[in-house]
Parts: sequence; structure tokens; C-alpha cells
Amino acid sequence: MRTSPLKPTWQAAGAVFAERYGTEVVSSFSDSATECGLVRNSVGLTDFSFAQIYRIPEEKAVDYLDTFLAGNVARTRFGRMLHTFLPDEDGNVAADCYVANNDQDFILICESVIETGEVDRVLDSYGAKDAGVETLTDRCVLLGLDGFDAWKVVRDVFGRDVLGLPYLSVEVYPFAGESVHLFRAGKTSEFGYLVMAPNSVADALYEKLHSAVKAAGGGLCGVEAHHALRLEGRFFNIHKEGLKVRDPLVLGLQWMIDFDKAGGFRGSAPLFGRRAAGLKQKIIGVSAAPRCEALCPGARIFHQGRPVADVATSCDSRVLDRKLGLAVFPVELAYSGLDFTLNAADGPPVRTISMPPILPKSLGIRLDEM
Amino acid sequence: MTDTAQNTILRRAAIIAAFKKELIQRLNLPYTPEDLHEDVSLLGAGLGLDSLDALEIVLCAENCFGVKIPDESVAVLRSINTIVDFIIEEQDKKGAAP
Repeated sequence: MRTSPLKPTWQAAGAVFAERYGTEVVSSFSDSATECGLVRNSVGLTDFSFAQIYRIPEEKAVDYLDTFLAGNVARTRFGRMLHTFLPDEDGNVAADCYVANNDQDFILICESVIETGEVDRVLDSYGAKDAGVETLTDRCVLLGLDGFDAWKVVRDVFGRDVLGLPYLSVEVYPFAGESVHLFRAGKTSEFGYLVMAPNSVADALYEKLHSAVKAAGGGLCGVEAHHALRLEGRFFNIHKEGLKVRDPLVLGLQWMIDFDKAGGFRGSAPLFGRRAAGLKQKIIGVSAAPRCEALCPGARIFHQGRPVADVATSCDSRVLDRKLGLAVFPVELAYSGLDFTLNAADGPPVRTISMPPILPKSLGIRLDEM
Repeated sequence: MTDTAQNTILRRAAIIAAFKKELIQRLNLPYTPEDLHEDVSLLGAGLGLDSLDALEIVLCAENCFGVKIPDESVAVLRSINTIVDFIIEEQDKKGAAP
């Protein structure tokens, strides 16, 4: 099983580990409510080293990546990032991807629901060798800084310039004699950054970031808390709804797809066929009473005595003090503001809602004016 | 389906359809109305629209539905659904006004 380069550090900090598609992840350090609170009110430091990471030289990167990714890499300007996905042969989501254009090279970061070796094989099958792809997965650490005060941490570590970085951008900074990539990207709806560094400086980077996180009143966070944070912010979570529902059209991920890309991409023919046939189902937000156990993955939503929808994911939202979820409805019923029941005609009530349901604290801050 | 639920769907569907059509036209988005999920984030993540686009969205709501989105209500612009919620709320206020 693949493990994080910082595993001994996480172990010493009391991490609880879990296995995901052949890779070990840091699940939590304390309870989910505490860790969600860190992100909503200060900052959480999370290990995202479970992601697959690749570097592609600039001269071949666009042509190479555009042959299999759903988005349009050619339109990704220097210093910016593209959020898209790697489809399987049927045009379903296999990996949630960021592509960062850093002029000298492109960095591809994948959160996948297939094993690392399988992602490598897909990239190989599209000519990774000819494109000069370098696999960084086991050679780099990837740390996430998410939260209302995340900007303070990156400012203290990398300098005030970071405050000018727009969402989905990348910059490279020197650190301990190495180059560290800073990506302005997060999926919590608060400020978010990913920091990628070679394993040789992983410990030093962790020490520096963790000190700044503690100074900002934050702490360590596991991936389990990110499930609730992503759902509250209505960010796509490939590890939750993405496991139950694979079709990007049902998931509402059309914005990640370039439907006009010349030559298509991996799985584009079946995907475009489903689009032409018309959408039959759609995933939308639902809400139930606090800690309602009936609102859980696999639950059925009833309307007038018959099941009409399936719950794909759920969480306890501490911000709203409600149970939140996502469920797949037929398009004719996929509207917010409707009342249904869970698991039976007389089951607990559940209501369809508009997403995202929370107002992130970070929305009130403009970093470029600070 | 109850009449109330049916009315909720019909009213919401009509607003969503008009809003999406106007949004695609004004911002020249490369999508069909069906491609735009009502919960997709409009600014930053998701569609990745910028502050100029946000102004177009505000104008779109004003021109199509006679609803003014105040500057301090930028949170309304989180998604199509949150904008539609605001439009319905404002329309109801106007309808309830003496």
C-alpha cells in the first residue's frame, strides 16, 4: 500500500489512517466537528499526498493532456489552473483533476477512484513516454491549507505576493534550496491552497507550515472532515457522490467539459451520445432534521408512496445544524423547495434545497485589497 | 403530486429557463441550458465567472425579472438556484405589498 512521505509525522500526531484504492490516507486526528470547525473558523492542514501527480514538459503538454482530459488544456493560460476530470472509456469520471500551467511545465494532480498504477497505465496508453511525462506521485508531498485564515499561513511562509494569486492559479517559490509549487485551489469554499514539494524537504515544509497554522489558531485535519466541507460548499467529491454516480452529466459537471474540443477526448463519444439523448436524472441537494440517520447513502426518497430518488451522500452540517445530502432525482422532480419522505411514505421528512446552502466566512474578504 | 408542489415546480422551472437563456446569451457561454446545473458555482470555482460577469448576472436578474440585487447581497450570486431563490423571494414581497 502506498503511504505518505510524512507518515511518521502523522503517526506521532495521533492520526487515524484509512485505505483508499491502494493508498493510505490520513482520515482524521480528532472528531469531524472539531476539524470542520478549524477550517470554517481558522485553518486546517491536511495531507493530500494520496493524489497522483505528474509533470509534463510545456512543449508537449497541451497536445498530450488534451487527448484524454475532458476540459480544454489549451485554454489554460500561464500561471493558471484548469479544474476538469479524467474520464474512463465510457465517459464516466475516473479522476478529479487539476492541471496547472507553470510555463516551464504542466502539473497534473489527480484524485482518483482507481488505483495509482491504473492512472499511470492510462497516461502511458496515451503516450506518456513520448510526451516526457515524469511521475511525481511518490517523490512529492502535497499539503492542503484550507480555511478562513489559510491566506495568513501562506503569506507568512511565502510572502505577501501570495495575496495577489487568484483562485485556480499556480506560483513557484524557493524553499530550503528546492522549488515548491503553491496552488491556489481548495474545495471547502473557504480560502484554499495546495503546497507541493519534493520529499527531500517534506519534513521542513511541514514544520514551517504547521508552526504558521498553529500561530493562526488552526490545526491538523484529516480527509474525513473534507467530505462534510465539500458537501456544504457543493464541491464535487469523487470519493462520495462520485463513487455512487459516475456520469458527469448527472453529477452536473458539464462545466468541466469542453464539448467542442477538436478530436474529442477519452470516452467523449459515449458521453456526447448521452448528452444528445437528453438528461434523465440530476443530482441535487437535500436536507433533513439534525442528525437524521435515515438520510444516508443508499436511502430512497419517496413521493406519494413510491421511491423516486436515491441518496448518494450525506453529512452532518455543523454550520447549518442540519443533515445535508445529495440525491439523484428524475429531472422533472429535480427542483429545490419540494417535500418528500425517506425510505417510506410515512418516513422522516426530507426537503430538496438550493446549493450551496452555506455562506462561507471567506466571502467577506478580498485578499487583493489587504 | 399536490397542487402546491406542482406550482412550485412550474414557477421555478419558468424562472430557471428564462434566466439560463439570458445568461448564456449575455455571457456567450458554450453550453446549452440543460448543461447548466442550477447548483453549479458561478463565481470562482465552477463556471469561473469574474466580477464583470457578475455585473452581467445582476443586470440579467434586473432586466428579466425586475428584481434588484443590492451590492451587499453578492452572496446571492453563489449559484443559479440561489439567484432564483432571491428572485422568488423578492417577487413574493412585491406581491404581498399593499
